[in-house]
Amino acid sequence: MRESDFRRAQARRQQANFALFLGPALVLLACFFLAPVIVDLGLAFTDMGRTLAVTTLTLDNFERMTSRDTRLLGSLGVTAVFVLCTLGIFNITFALLLALTTTAVPRALGAFFRAVWLLPRMSPSVVYALLWLWVVDPNERGLLNQVLIHVFGMGPVDLRNHHPLFVIIVANGFIGASLGMIIFTSAIRSIPEHLFHAARADGAGALAIVRHIVFPALRWPISYMTIHQTLSLLVSFEYILLITGGGPFFDTTVFSLYAYRRAFENGQYAYGAALSLILIVLGVIAALGLWRLMDMRRLLQTPRIEVH
Amino acid sequence: MHAPTLPVATGRPAAADWAALALRARWRRVAEQSVLLALLLAVSLPIILPYFWMVVISFTARSGGVAVSVLWTACAVIVPAVIVYCVVHLATRSTRVRLIAAAALLAATVALLAALVGDALHFANYRFLWRPNIVEEIRSKATAGGQFPSVWIAFRNSLALALSETAIILTVALLAGYYVSRFAFRGREAFLQGLLVLHAFPAMTLIIPLFLILNWIGLLDTIVGVMLVLATIELPFYVFVLKGFFDAVPWDIEMSAMTDGATRRQAFRLVVLPQVRVGLIAVGVFAFIRAWEEYIFVRTMLIENTHWVMSLYLYWVSDDIMGVDYGIVAAVSVFYVLPSLLLYVFCQKYLTQMTIGGIRG
Amino acid sequence: MARIELRNVQKRWGEAAAVERIDLAIDDGAFVAILGPSGCGKTTTLLMLAGIYSPTSGDIAFDGARVNDVEARDRNVGIVFQSYALYPSMSVLENILFPLRFAKVGRAEGERRAREIAALVQIEPLLERRPSQLSGGQQQRVALARALVKRPRLLLLDEPLSNLDASLRLTMRTEIRRIQRELGVTTILVTHDQIEATTMADRVVVMNAGGIEQEGTARDLYERPATLFVATFIGSPPINLFDGVAAGDAVTVRDATLPLSSLATGEVVLGVRPESVRANGGGMPARVAAVEPMGREVLYTAECPFGAIRFVEAGADARLREGDHVALDYTPGGVLLFDKASGRRLETRIVS
Repeated sequence: MRESDFRRAQARRQQANFALFLGPALVLLACFFLAPVIVDLGLAFTDMGRTLAVTTLTLDNFERMTSRDTRLLGSLGVTAVFVLCTLGIFNITFALLLALTTTAVPRALGAFFRAVWLLPRMSPSVVYALLWLWVVDPNERGLLNQVLIHVFGMGPVDLRNHHPLFVIIVANGFIGASLGMIIFTSAIRSIPEHLFHAARADGAGALAIVRHIVFPALRWPISYMTIHQTLSLLVSFEYILLITGGGPFFDTTVFSLYAYRRAFENGQYAYGAALSLILIVLGVIAALGLWRLMDMRRLLQTPRIEVH
Repeated sequence: MHAPTLPVATGRPAAADWAALALRARWRRVAEQSVLLALLLAVSLPIILPYFWMVVISFTARSGGVAVSVLWTACAVIVPAVIVYCVVHLATRSTRVRLIAAAALLAATVALLAALVGDALHFANYRFLWRPNIVEEIRSKATAGGQFPSVWIAFRNSLALALSETAIILTVALLAGYYVSRFAFRGREAFLQGLLVLHAFPAMTLIIPLFLILNWIGLLDTIVGVMLVLATIELPFYVFVLKGFFDAVPWDIEMSAMTDGATRRQAFRLVVLPQVRVGLIAVGVFAFIRAWEEYIFVRTMLIENTHWVMSLYLYWVSDDIMGVDYGIVAAVSVFYVLPSLLLYVFCQKYLTQMTIGGIRG
Repeated sequence: MARIELRNVQKRWGEAAAVERIDLAIDDGAFVAILGPSGCGKTTTLLMLAGIYSPTSGDIAFDGARVNDVEARDRNVGIVFQSYALYPSMSVLENILFPLRFAKVGRAEGERRAREIAALVQIEPLLERRPSQLSGGQQQRVALARALVKRPRLLLLDEPLSNLDASLRLTMRTEIRRIQRELGVTTILVTHDQIEATTMADRVVVMNAGGIEQEGTARDLYERPATLFVATFIGSPPINLFDGVAAGDAVTVRDATLPLSSLATGEVVLGVRPESVRANGGGMPARVAAVEPMGREVLYTAECPFGAIRFVEAGADARLREGDHVALDYTPGGVLLFDKASGRRLETRIVS
């Protein structure tokens, strides 16, 4: 076969391969990942309501967001408290604590406790939320109330109505702590054993070892987790929706849930889209930031076969 | 060059000091480990207890009441057994002793439980499995816009959703993963970077436009629609995972297949694919479990109750009869969790193989 | 300074034994090398002395007192790891100062001591650098400084020279010996390189498969190896081995029969050191099969009535060629005899 024929056949096959292998993925991603972003962008400038009909293009939504919506301010406040508390107390701090303690006890026990703490994340969200509802049930059958009544001799409490923010912070915290725990444990395990030996021979006790050997190795995972979890907390509302529904009223409605409720409970789809737009922009920025932090070289191994 | 000399350390500790140091070391170790274990037990108990409670309730609750005493009795038996085992585990290093202790404690626990709470166990709460109209029976009226579906309809829907989504993901991610791993094409870097950004991007923010898109193409309130959405959202992650597996296949065997006369595609099918079997199983199991547990997207996009999946079924059951009959709700929960739990336990070996850029999933 | 004793020490990991029963006594101020192939248990023994591992059974004693339960940090042992184990997030000075934090030494006094030690191992200009900016030899000296700064009663070195290149190895060998002599600290060196062991230490302990094969001076090990393993491990090029059968007062190797000085029976192994074989004039007929110039000497392999035999000749150029017929002379009294089954050396000798 002549060279030009070969090249043409190669080119045809290359295109065929591209379509065959990458085509389905590209189609799916375009339809259900990229298209929604564009749709949302457009939607934010319309007036779509319950009827799902677009009649005009308008900047109303943004105007409402910035000046007329008082609930929004409350929601922003709730979001700030929620994200900061869950992140600071559970997702990072508690995760660190769990990673440190489960690696300091014998391996099998450590694995057991880590498995226990993975249980919330591994269970379906509905089941997890259900358990929480039982725990904070306001009458005396609630698990928490049983403990309070029989062990501490206190009266029953109604956390769900009186301290709903506390409930969602702890509920989301248990879920969030498990991911950090895994990442930090993996980082601790990858510290070379002989560094620990050297520190012990040098006279360091457990706390000194944590301070001088473990923490320096955790700097990168902690930064990565902080950004990753902040983003995750800003956009997820599944557990909040299931446990408190955003209530009572709007007391635990974080920003992302606020957009969802406005769209699906009040039928204000355009407004919901406009609110979501903020989150989408935030998501893109954070995603780009995370991408920079990750090690790209390993992911971009160059292919070695050039023939198709 | 003559280096300076160092003054030699003088004196040596008397033998008595060694004994004191040894004693101190033993106490230190015991104290450290006990504190750590106590801490871990204390924070883990609030997690284990509700799950345990759920299982217990499903087997003991009667209509209108919750078997509180059963729970606490069971706890009073199990918790000391666990603590005793922890102490034994720490005190001795011999595996034989540990196994004997574990077996003995297990036998004692089971015997005690059987004696104390055995008669309170029953299967009545699981009757939703064979009687479809439980909600109407309890509430004596229909709810949620029509007749409450049988759990098996929801089960069937969940299965259909999870299986079809897994099939789509396996096919699409497999092909794409292989292509980005092994082929050079224009825009490869850009595509990978784009995928990474998509992976990190929170898909939940797109729920509103996705709802509308599904509505426009007529796939709202269908399993197919939800399946496509879910598959796409998870796709970047799975492409990277499978790419990782393909990266690990040595180039040599593919090259030798091609020198043996195979085309690129044949080499892929016959030689490379069998090598990533573990990856496929891992991705398949993981995707199945995720689809089984999905709630928010199905809640938003499935409306008719005959289209409900298990997560919705459980939600509506609890919503309707939660205050009235904990037992059934607990039983439904247990029934719902069982498949994914079994999958997790039996496929753990595969699931832990998934990595993305060095961070294990 | 301390006198170290290991009494009947055993270390098991689950069912596998890393160290079988070890009995060893090391005098105060001595420099001992533990020599053996990888996996023989020498590093495990070292880490037990440091307190990182705990013996499964048996006792470790410092100055007669049992220290099994004493933690590593209370033993005042300095240890230099094969990988140096320098703390990557700290500078060289901070690395050296690290042990002093826990010895309750004040900052000023600590820095003074650190600089003194840095001068001793000659790394003064490197104090502000990070470990990643140092070469292998420099890292090793920092590790040495860190081990010495706390004035340890025992210094442990795990394969200190194996990661260095040849010329640096020579320098550091002398350096470590000098430092040990000056400080008089009891030192235990672990290595798989017999040259390292024999040139640095006063006494050598040969370990194999978790147990001690023999201990003594380098000369003892070379001239009077207790077992076949020691005979093959010590000496380069390795000793020539021939199977034979002893029957009373003579031993038969292939077709030859040699008289013995005392009675022996059973299957035996004869060991002939290459250095004791000469190809000059009289003796056993042989044919040169291979010639390997090794720089300083030439290694010949020849076929003789006993089998293949190696011998060396000094000089860079090969005097003989492949196929040459030579007559090999050896000292019969220098032939070592070992019992084949147990590997132990027999006292009997070949009589000329």
